[in-house]
This record gives sequence, C-alpha cells and structure tokens, in this order.
Amino acid sequence: MSRNLWKFFHVLIVGVILLGVVGCTAPVAPAAPAPEAAAPAAAAGLEACKGQSLVLASMTDQYVAAFRALVPKFEEASGATITLDELGYVDLYQKLIADFVGHTGNYDLMTVDIVWSGEFGQNQYTRTLDDFMARDEAELQLDDILPVAWTLGEWQGAHAAYPLAGYANVLNYRKDVLEQAGIEPPATQEELLAAAQALTNPDAGMYGIALLGAKGPAVAQDYMAWVQQHGGRILDDEGKPALNTPENVEILKFFGELFKYAPPGSTDYWWDQRETAFRNGNVAMMEGWSIARAGYENPEISTVVGKVDIAVAPVKAGMEPKYGFGGWGIGINADSTPEEQECAWQFIKWLTSPDIQKEWLRNDGAPIRRSTMTDPEIVAEYPWMPVLLESFEKGDGDYRPRIPQYSIIQDALGTHVNAFLVGEETAEEALAAAQKQVEDNWQ
Amino acid sequence: MTVIQEQQVVSRRGGWGDGLRRMWRGEGAYLAMLLPLLIFVAAIAIYPLLFSFRISLFKYRLTDPNQMQTFVGLDNYWRAFQDPIVLTSLRVTLIYVAGTVLVEMVLGLALALLLASEGRMIRGTRALLLLPMALPPLVVGLVWKSLYNADFGVIPYYLKQLGVDVGRGPLAELGWAMPAVILIDVWQWTPLLMIIFLAGLKSLPIEPYEAAFADGATRWQRFIHITLPLLKPTLLVALLLRTMQSFKVFDVIYATTGGGPGSATTVLNFHIYTVGMTFFDMGYAAALANVLLVIIAILSALYIVILERQQL
Repeated sequence: MSRNLWKFFHVLIVGVILLGVVGCTAPVAPAAPAPEAAAPAAAAGLEACKGQSLVLASMTDQYVAAFRALVPKFEEASGATITLDELGYVDLYQKLIADFVGHTGNYDLMTVDIVWSGEFGQNQYTRTLDDFMARDEAELQLDDILPVAWTLGEWQGAHAAYPLAGYANVLNYRKDVLEQAGIEPPATQEELLAAAQALTNPDAGMYGIALLGAKGPAVAQDYMAWVQQHGGRILDDEGKPALNTPENVEILKFFGELFKYAPPGSTDYWWDQRETAFRNGNVAMMEGWSIARAGYENPEISTVVGKVDIAVAPVKAGMEPKYGFGGWGIGINADSTPEEQECAWQFIKWLTSPDIQKEWLRNDGAPIRRSTMTDPEIVAEYPWMPVLLESFEKGDGDYRPRIPQYSIIQDALGTHVNAFLVGEETAEEALAAAQKQVEDNWQ
Repeated sequence: MTVIQEQQVVSRRGGWGDGLRRMWRGEGAYLAMLLPLLIFVAAIAIYPLLFSFRISLFKYRLTDPNQMQTFVGLDNYWRAFQDPIVLTSLRVTLIYVAGTVLVEMVLGLALALLLASEGRMIRGTRALLLLPMALPPLVVGLVWKSLYNADFGVIPYYLKQLGVDVGRGPLAELGWAMPAVILIDVWQWTPLLMIIFLAGLKSLPIEPYEAAFADGATRWQRFIHITLPLLKPTLLVALLLRTMQSFKVFDVIYATTGGGPGSATTVLNFHIYTVGMTFFDMGYAAALANVLLVIIAILSALYIVILERQQL
C-alpha cells in the first residue's frame, strides 16, 4: 500500500519538476514591447467616456480629498465610472509596478510621483501623452501650466504623466513664537540653524525645527532637500551618482546639526509625525511641502490655527535662490485598452482645465496653473499663494534625480543618513557606504 | 506479475467498472482521498519552491523593460556570502531569535504554571491573555510604534515621569531598538507558548506527584525533578515552533523600525524584502530567501532528531 502511495507521490513530484523545467527552458528572449497605443483619432469629447469604467490609483496625500469630491462630478458629466483606489506611498508604488510588469492593466489612471517619471517613462509603463496633447492642444492652454510643473512626468522630452499637483518646499513658521523671541523668519540656511538653536527650549516643550529622520524614503528625501538648499548635487555631470563628495559630507553634518534642535523622536519621524509635531505646537519651524499649508488653519487637526505663516525655503548664503519642487503627475497605463486610454485622457483634460482647477484647489488639491495661482478669489482665500508662485517660478524639480535608478539612491541614503543621525556611522562613512551600495546596484 | 497476467486478472474480475469498485474498496481509496491534498501540496508548496530555486540561478530584474533572464549559475549565492548586509542581518536575526524565544519560553512556562489551576477568574484571565495573538502583526506593530513614539507616546511619557532619559525614543536609539521590537514579539506570542505548556501540564500523569508528595518533596523539587523532565517534549515542540517563526520575522520590523535605526533591526527577511521589492532584483532575492530556507530547514531537522530521541 504505502509503496503505491510513494510511487504516486513521486510521479506527482516528477510532474511538478517537469513543469519547473519547462519554465526553465521557456524562451528568455525579451518580452514583446507593450503594444503601441493606437494613434488617437479625431478629437473626442467627454462622450468618449460613455459606459467606460476606469480604476484610478491615488496616493493618500491631501489631494485625495479633491479626487473624492471631483470624481463623482466627472462621472455625472461624462457617463463614465471611476473607481478610486487610495493607497499609501510604498503600497502604491509596489502595486503599480506589479500591475505594469505583469501587464495586467488593473489601473487605468495613476498618480505618479515626480521621482518615478524616469522609471515609468523609460520602461513605457505609462502611455506617452504627447499624441493626445498635440491633438487637443487648442483646448489645453499649455502655456498657462508653470514650466517647472512639467517635471511632473516629463522624461527625455516625452510626457509619461501629466502635471497634477505641484508642491513647493517652503518654510512654515510660527509667527507668534518667532515674534516673541524677536527673530525674523530666516532667509538663509545659516540663519535657519541659528534660529532653530535660539528657539529650542526642551523644558517648555518647544523645539526649533521639525525634520524627517526615519529610515527609508523619509530621511533620504529630507536630506536631498538640504543638499539642494546648499547647492550640493546627487549626480555628477555625467549623470552618475556622486553621493560622497566633500560638499555633501559637509551638508550632511549641517543636517545632523539641525537635528540637535529637533524633537528628540525626530530620527524616527515620517511625514505624518513631522506634521503632527508642527500642528501640535511643539516646534517653531518646519520645512515641508506646501500642500499641507491649508491644514494648519483647520481647527479639527491643528492647534496652531492663525499662528502660522510661510516663507520661501532658505538657501545657503550667497547661493542663487532655487527651491525644491515636487508633487505628482497623473499617468495612463500603457496596458489599458485604447478606449479606456481615451476616456482616461478626457478625465485628465477635464481635471486640469482652469475652471476645475479652482475646485481642485479648494478641495485640498495642489496647483499647476499660473491662472489658478493668480486668481484674485483664490489669492484672497489662500493668502500664501504668492510665496508658492515665487517658489514654483524658481523651482527645481530635479533635486531628487528623476531617473529610473532613483529608488536605489533613495534606499541607500535612507539607510545610511539615518545611521549617521543615530550615531552608528560618521558622515564620511555613511556617504561612502551609501555610494558603494548605489554603485553595487546600479544598472 | 507480468503485464499479460495482470491484464488477465483485470478481465477476469469483470472489466473497468468492477476494477474501480475494488480499487475504491482497497488501497485505491487511500490514494483517491489523499489526491486533493497531494495536488495541493505539489501546487502550493513544491512548485513555488522549484520556481524560486530556478530564478535564483538567473540574473532577473523585474523592472528591466526587456524582462531579460540571464543564467548566472550560483553567482547569486556567491554574492550573498560576500554581501556585508547579509552577514549583519544574519547576526541581527540571531539576536532577535535568541531574545524572543528565550524570554517567551520562560514567561510562557511561568504563566502556564500560574494559570494551570481551574477557576472562573483564571479561565477569564487565560482568555484575555490570548487576545494579542488574535491581532495581525502589522496592526500590533503600528500600535506599538505610536506607544513608543518619543514625543507623543505613552511609554516614553511614563519613563520620563520616572526620570528615565528616553533619548530619541525606544525605536530610534541604537541600543534600545532591538529590545523594543523583541518586547513587541514577546507581548504577542508568549500566550501561544502558555497555551502549549498548559496543554502539556494538563496531560502529565498524577502518580509521580503523589509519590513525591509522600516522600516529602518540596514544590521546587517537584518542579525541577518531575514537571520539567516530563514536559521536555512539549518544551522542545514549543522551542522549535517559535524559533522557526522568529527566524521569519518581517511584519513587526516593517511596521515599526523599517530595519532602523541604521541597520540595528534589519533582519534577514527584511533585507530580502528590500532586495526584492525595492530593487526588484528577483534572482538575488530568491537566492537570499533560499539561504534562509536552508537555515530554517537545518534547524527543523535538528530539533526533530532531538525530539525523536527524547521520545525513545
């Protein structure tokens, strides 16, 4: 009896091994490139969406509230159904990559972080939008979109995503606290450090500045923001990683110096905890993305209502002012059907039109158009718009390299800058180790 | 029996229908009933294993637009043994395993002894203690992360009240991060060991205790000389189970420290995740996963051998 069973089990295993071997010998030639999307026919309007159903994957940033408010309006106007899938940063990236490499086409529309532009564009994960843009140019008012906003999705001259939400790195500060201490809002990095030091008083539960220190994307992105503000660089002239230059080591030491005047838990802060620290009134200053600005005036989530102002992010003394720019584009899956792609494009066109942009902004979205940012009604509602516009006009969308290998750089810096901050490595060791890790994984 | 003879036997029995009926009544019944399970095991366990071994022999990056798979032999394994992060993470994993398993074994046994008697209160307490096990580790991680937060968390708050300097908070200090994540694991999984030990205690024979009582043995002597030796098989099962589980830890680390601060809590499984899901370097990630598999397989084999010896 048992011999029979064994025989059967062996047959089964051999079968499975054969299956595996068949997998082994399967041709490993390059997979066929994603089918070229059919060239769009004559200009189509919202009627192209009738009966279509799309899935939109969105990052759970503030602007997701604007999607929740505007998607139903689009559905009503067009007859399409759009399912909104809200995902956190890491989940969104992983689900999108799985969808793209598996060619499953689950998501038709997706929010694309500025730093993913290169990867998505190079690999043709998202459909190039240039043909749609050329076809509908008359309706798009492309000149009205700020030049820096095009870095949200542009890769090597083509558009892998369309500008959706522009963020500027700005300095938020507590008017009351600075006034009381007789300190002017810092205009340079040197003044920032001095102000942070002067405003720190742990006994009163007040710290000078809130920073991102948690291992991973958080600390990596904050450090890169400081590299930008000190005129440092992540890539050299040839586009190769240059993390451990003497300038960058100095900048890292400066960054570490700032942490002395940050809440003690800062080396464990992600974006949400940094926001909490500022909204709870524990810190006097915080550099961060402009999209969070409106939230400080919301008494449900903020204890600092009416006490906050913003200024352009301070740069190193003597440096030509340039401000960190980031945010999100919106892309169309290259694996969606031409009909779905057409409808997705209609959605993008509708959402980014000047009229809807005002609604988008009022529902916690972020701007991309000059006309929205200079609209008198909008400026009256959001008095900080001029600061934002100035930051956008001198914005630098490439301070975090928008290249396909970005995630490798981010992971290496995310590990080793954190190791420096908690005292495991010196600044020199940390950047040398990060450089080595990037070189080892560079493709 | 030759083939011809066999065919004659079948035909004499009256064809296929009869043959099947006989099969069903005889040995075939076992096969038929085991079939679904065997197919399940083959499809769910064996095929992925072979697949992971196959891709570990290739250079295969998921995000490569051409999806090229280049055969590289054992290069990925060779790379693993030279990768400094692998060695660090192995050391970190061993510390984590030793810490969690030791503390949980001792605490689990103590709790089991404490709650071995019957009574309404005790039954209620036992049920309450099981609650942490019912929570998904990711949720547990997130809850503890906020409890540990240096600036808003409850734990640092009380520690500060007691005059303890919490520095950057338990999860962000190099020396504290590992004990802090071990504590989370202990909180969640000690009840499992308590249950296993309780079952073991309940099944112990009463006679040796009666004899010891008659001989005037103290409680401590009874515990050392009767309970512990009799409980050995149960202890070994629990040790094996928790060691294997601990080696595979990922979710709690992912939710709390992300392997930080620095690399203080980067366990092997977390490193594999980074290689696989951040770099999408599937070949190398598979090789690392197989190394982990071999380690766990050796451990299991070792424990099973010990276990069998104990029972002889």
